[in-house]
Amino acid sequence: MIVALASALFASVAPAQTWLNFKRPTPTAADWAALGKLPDFTGVWEEPLGGGGSLVVKPGAAKQVRNETTAKSKFPTFHMPPPPSLTPDWAAKVDALKAHAAEDNPQANCLPNGMPAIMGMPYPYEFLLTPGQVTIIGEAYRMIRHIYTDGRTLPKDPTPTFWGTSVGHWEGDTLVAESVGFIPGTHIAPGIPHSAKMKIIERFRLIDANTMSIETTVIDPVALTRPYTTSRILKRYPNWTIDEYICEQNNRNSVTSSGKAEVDTMPPPPPPLGSDSNSQ
Amino acid sequence: MKQMKTSLKQAGLFAVLVAALMLPAGPAIAHHGFADYDMTRQLTVSGKVRAFQWTNPHTWLWLDVPNGKGGTTLYAFEGMSPNYLGRRGWTRESLKPGDQITVNFFPFKDPKKKGGTLAFAKKPNGEEFNNFVPAGAK
Repeated sequence: MIVALASALFASVAPAQTWLNFKRPTPTAADWAALGKLPDFTGVWEEPLGGGGSLVVKPGAAKQVRNETTAKSKFPTFHMPPPPSLTPDWAAKVDALKAHAAEDNPQANCLPNGMPAIMGMPYPYEFLLTPGQVTIIGEAYRMIRHIYTDGRTLPKDPTPTFWGTSVGHWEGDTLVAESVGFIPGTHIAPGIPHSAKMKIIERFRLIDANTMSIETTVIDPVALTRPYTTSRILKRYPNWTIDEYICEQNNRNSVTSSGKAEVDTMPPPPPPLGSDSNSQ
Repeated sequence: MKQMKTSLKQAGLFAVLVAALMLPAGPAIAHHGFADYDMTRQLTVSGKVRAFQWTNPHTWLWLDVPNGKGGTTLYAFEGMSPNYLGRRGWTRESLKPGDQITVNFFPFKDPKKKGGTLAFAKKPNGEEFNNFVPAGAK
């Protein structure tokens, strides 16, 4: 009687199936075994130069300063992939934003990069494959992306987040991830915000045992005249371990609400007696 | 001399990586831009380590540099994170208070601020600690 009453109570309050409350089958031994047939994405990867494009280094100016010796210096320029093609309305909005551009990005205040930039950091990524899910852990800002491959569909009205809401499926040896629902502060490319309609398609595949290709296509019919595709190559580092990254630990950089970049150079007090560490 | 050549080569490599990191909101930006720093100049100073913070999101180094009048001027240098440097030959013990070192750096734009973004630190025995190196390399 009590059990029946209790179950009736719970049944009456059980919420509808939603993105955050999604009933999943318990993985079977066969589900775990099936993972072994997928391409081996597991492990730690990093983009060797931490960003796409090609580099040209030009000689730079040198200047003498009292008490300081000037070293030979090079001023490099960085060639980016071609920029996305913007719709006229969006191009006008982007131009208007430039007039109020801050000296630095919100990351100076420890907010993480959003998608797609968070996938292009000069820090490693760890891929985990479990039944119905690919998890990508990014060391920078402790990024965690869950790409559900259990057949669920994307929510119609996702809560906007930095890294979006993702589902994925396998097309042969390629993991195809689709993501939607991004906060307004994330950018399609440097300095180019997205609209609420932005969708990102990523295609992950191994081009050899220790090399991963990620092709990222941004679809945004409000901001872009056509989909914008960039690609990056990650190398596997079998010996690496993902480390902690708490940006708030000792952040001395900031950007003020009026957009001014600042840096705090005040030295720390002497370490406490008995301290044997520089991690103060 | 050979050592110096290596330094300059590595400084050039550093500059390449700085370029990647200088992009405003670019795909490679790690934590912040370089609005406070003059990345077109690289300077060298020598002095004694006052403190070294092995912390995220950046390591920080303070150096007492002789000012030529019997005293010292304090310089502050911002470096990459422990995660990054820890895979490239550094440990939290790489630089210790009291160590005599030479530092190459990109200076603050504000002339009142002494120091800047670290390029590399060098010990008298020739041991070098570079702030930016490709993955897997020391």
